[in-house]
Amino acid sequence: MAKLIVDGTEVDVPAEYTLLQACEVAGVEIPRFCFHERLSIAGNCRMCLVEVKGGPPKPTASCAMAVKDLRPGPNGEPPVVLTKSPMVKKAREGVMEFLLINHPLDCPICDQGGECDLQDQAMAYGVDTSRFAENKRAVEDKYIGPLVRTSMNRCIHCTRCVRFTTEVAGAADLGAIGRGEDMEITTYLEHAMHSELQGNVADLCPVGALTHKPYAFHARPWELTKTESVDVMDAVGSNIRIDTRGREVMRILPRTNEAVNEEWISDKTRYVWDGLKAQRLDRPYVRKDGRLVPATWTEAFSVIAARVKATAPARIGAILGDLATVEEAFALKQLFDKLGSKNIDSRQDGAALNPALGRASYIFNAGIDGIEAADAILLIGTDPRHEASVLNARIRKRWRAGGLKVGVIGPRVDLTYPYEYLGAGPETLAELAGSGTFAEALKAAERPLVIVGQGAVARPDGAAVLSLAARVAVAVGAVKEGWNGFAVLHTAASRVGALDVGVVPGEGGLDVAGMTAAGALDVAFLLGADEVDVAPGAFVIYLGTHGDRGAHRADVILPGAAYPEKSGIYVNTEGRPQFANRAAFPPGDAREDWAVLRALSEVIGHKLPYDTLLALRAALVAAYPHLGRLDQVEPADAGSIAALAGLGGTADKGAFVSTIGDFFLTNPIARASAVMAECSKLRLGSDAVAAE
Amino acid sequence: MVRAIKGEASSSEAWAVKEFLLYVFTWWNKQTVGTMLWTRRFGEFVGQDEAGNRYFRTKGGAIDPQLGFERRWVIYPGYADSTTIPTGWYGWIHHRTDTPPTEESYTPRDWQKPHLRNMTGSPAAYRPKGAVPGGRNRPEVTGDYKAWAPGE
Repeated sequence: MAKLIVDGTEVDVPAEYTLLQACEVAGVEIPRFCFHERLSIAGNCRMCLVEVKGGPPKPTASCAMAVKDLRPGPNGEPPVVLTKSPMVKKAREGVMEFLLINHPLDCPICDQGGECDLQDQAMAYGVDTSRFAENKRAVEDKYIGPLVRTSMNRCIHCTRCVRFTTEVAGAADLGAIGRGEDMEITTYLEHAMHSELQGNVADLCPVGALTHKPYAFHARPWELTKTESVDVMDAVGSNIRIDTRGREVMRILPRTNEAVNEEWISDKTRYVWDGLKAQRLDRPYVRKDGRLVPATWTEAFSVIAARVKATAPARIGAILGDLATVEEAFALKQLFDKLGSKNIDSRQDGAALNPALGRASYIFNAGIDGIEAADAILLIGTDPRHEASVLNARIRKRWRAGGLKVGVIGPRVDLTYPYEYLGAGPETLAELAGSGTFAEALKAAERPLVIVGQGAVARPDGAAVLSLAARVAVAVGAVKEGWNGFAVLHTAASRVGALDVGVVPGEGGLDVAGMTAAGALDVAFLLGADEVDVAPGAFVIYLGTHGDRGAHRADVILPGAAYPEKSGIYVNTEGRPQFANRAAFPPGDAREDWAVLRALSEVIGHKLPYDTLLALRAALVAAYPHLGRLDQVEPADAGSIAALAGLGGTADKGAFVSTIGDFFLTNPIARASAVMAECSKLRLGSDAVAAE
Repeated sequence: MVRAIKGEASSSEAWAVKEFLLYVFTWWNKQTVGTMLWTRRFGEFVGQDEAGNRYFRTKGGAIDPQLGFERRWVIYPGYADSTTIPTGWYGWIHHRTDTPPTEESYTPRDWQKPHLRNMTGSPAAYRPKGAVPGGRNRPEVTGDYKAWAPGE
């Protein structure tokens, strides 16, 4: 710790702090453009100049000067930092004047207007006039992909975007060419950026040089209603802010949550919102004479009631989709319990995860911030870059910190950091349970982390593979006092919550594969389940939001609410319940899914005992108290992993394949989105890199 | 047949009564009685335009003592709408020129459109692109969505 005096306030900060951080501790705000907490220090915007006594005799860039670089006074007085002196004021005004020399007066037509760092700081620290009478610099706009729009005249060369792509995203796409006035940010070959996190560069840009292309000229920040919510595109549960105007979602931005997504979100999370406006189911449909015709809710319900009442419970089944809230999973489970049917499942991909094996067997026990504590990571049958992009950025962050060994069993893909490729399938995994160089590395590690992807467990021998992975985890000492390094990485936002409330087949019940087989069911209820194909013969009731696979197969379509249109709890892959607020309203006659379930339960004669969402949530929390403790991860009993390891079973030899076919088209909302379709066509990030 | 003729006659009678009442009691149709008498006594017919508006001035171009120059006025054929006055007569009646268009040899170019009165307030009113009652191509607005329909 080192003492220093900031504007007359004495503060005691760690010696490695920068002056800027020390000033923040002292409660003094320092203007900055290039400095960002999560990126390396560039020190090139010069906006954070302060006056230092005990340092160089000139204005000092506070972001780049450490507290330990300052020397005390002759009598041991602590160094003094002045941020309000005339020298600092003049320095800031000078820097601002230089920045504005080449910045166009675009504010009225600039998408950043209203949330622009340059605008704000020019008001706070700038001067009212410019002495520059010459022509301004002109820079050609660059093409850097379908997601980020460039307006390069506005660039102030803070290089945040360059540092982000290089450091966090791990795709060195952006760079700077030229110097001085001629410096330009470009991909050089004008190709699209190859990252799943590229939207974040537009957030980082302190001016309007990089803006969001799908959002361009659609809205102004001050006319938007901001709602805090949770993302459902993957199982990370990134914290997001949904900006709406009226009932339309205009954009999605990240929210800072150090434990989950830091402040990044993936492009699918960010730009999926145009999918909320296309292909929407806004009225019930009933199939008559082989054709779906619009119907009223009453008609649709009466058709369902007649069908359900005429069918034996054992011939009725339900499949829960990937985007459902825990409340819906709970209500569906209760409805089927009352109905007397055991055919209910939430694992559309057929993953062999079962709450009967203990909660530790299906959650990411180490936690996402636990990745930063890990010193050796084994990835089994997973492609975290596409299954959980933000989590992959966390692994990359850990790798950049140094001393991390990563081993991969499964698909050989570009993960943005180097890894040791061990093998393709369960055989390699079985070898690892014995000995081997990487097994030794895992054993030597203090906190080894074994990440099991859905590609490893969503296969017929998934249970054996999961047990084998648990055996490896136990063998290398990943499960011990104070550290549980057995981590299952999910891809579906609803999955952990659904497993928590037990949406799996009861004794003798059919799982997804059994239910979708020909002749297995007479009535199939799909709650937003679009990734399965129910064999012909069954009467399919589809409750969902988009005219996707499920709706095409359905005999009765009930329109539901998409994730911004309902409030609910989502449990992410760590087992962290998070609350998503409602930001908009469902379109047309569509209703919130829990309300549809409640109404349907009454029609089929098994009324669910709650009339409001709050009552449903209360019943849910009463049954599963840990789901009521929002944002807290309930540690799972590590003992069940040892039990899981003991299960054994024979795994076959097939290689692990990632369950994510196309990163941009994994759910009905994304498949309805034109932006996602364009990205998918360009195949950003994955194959594009491999092709080069 | 007889009834039809009768009906026709009675409707034209009713029309004539209405015309007469409008003429007597309203100032915004054709001319008032005062104007009629004044025009007979002091007016001199100058010309008529294609819309049927008749233009007058003081007899022989006599100076109107109240104005200090000759008085010019128009009598409309029906509803008094000053925007029906076409461009040429507009100049004359506003004293911008002293030669009425009837005495000029101006022939309009083929690209010149015929004069149109101000249609504001009528169904033929101008509606900018995207105006709500304008018709089919409504612009995209907040809250729009594309609903799915079977067969897509």
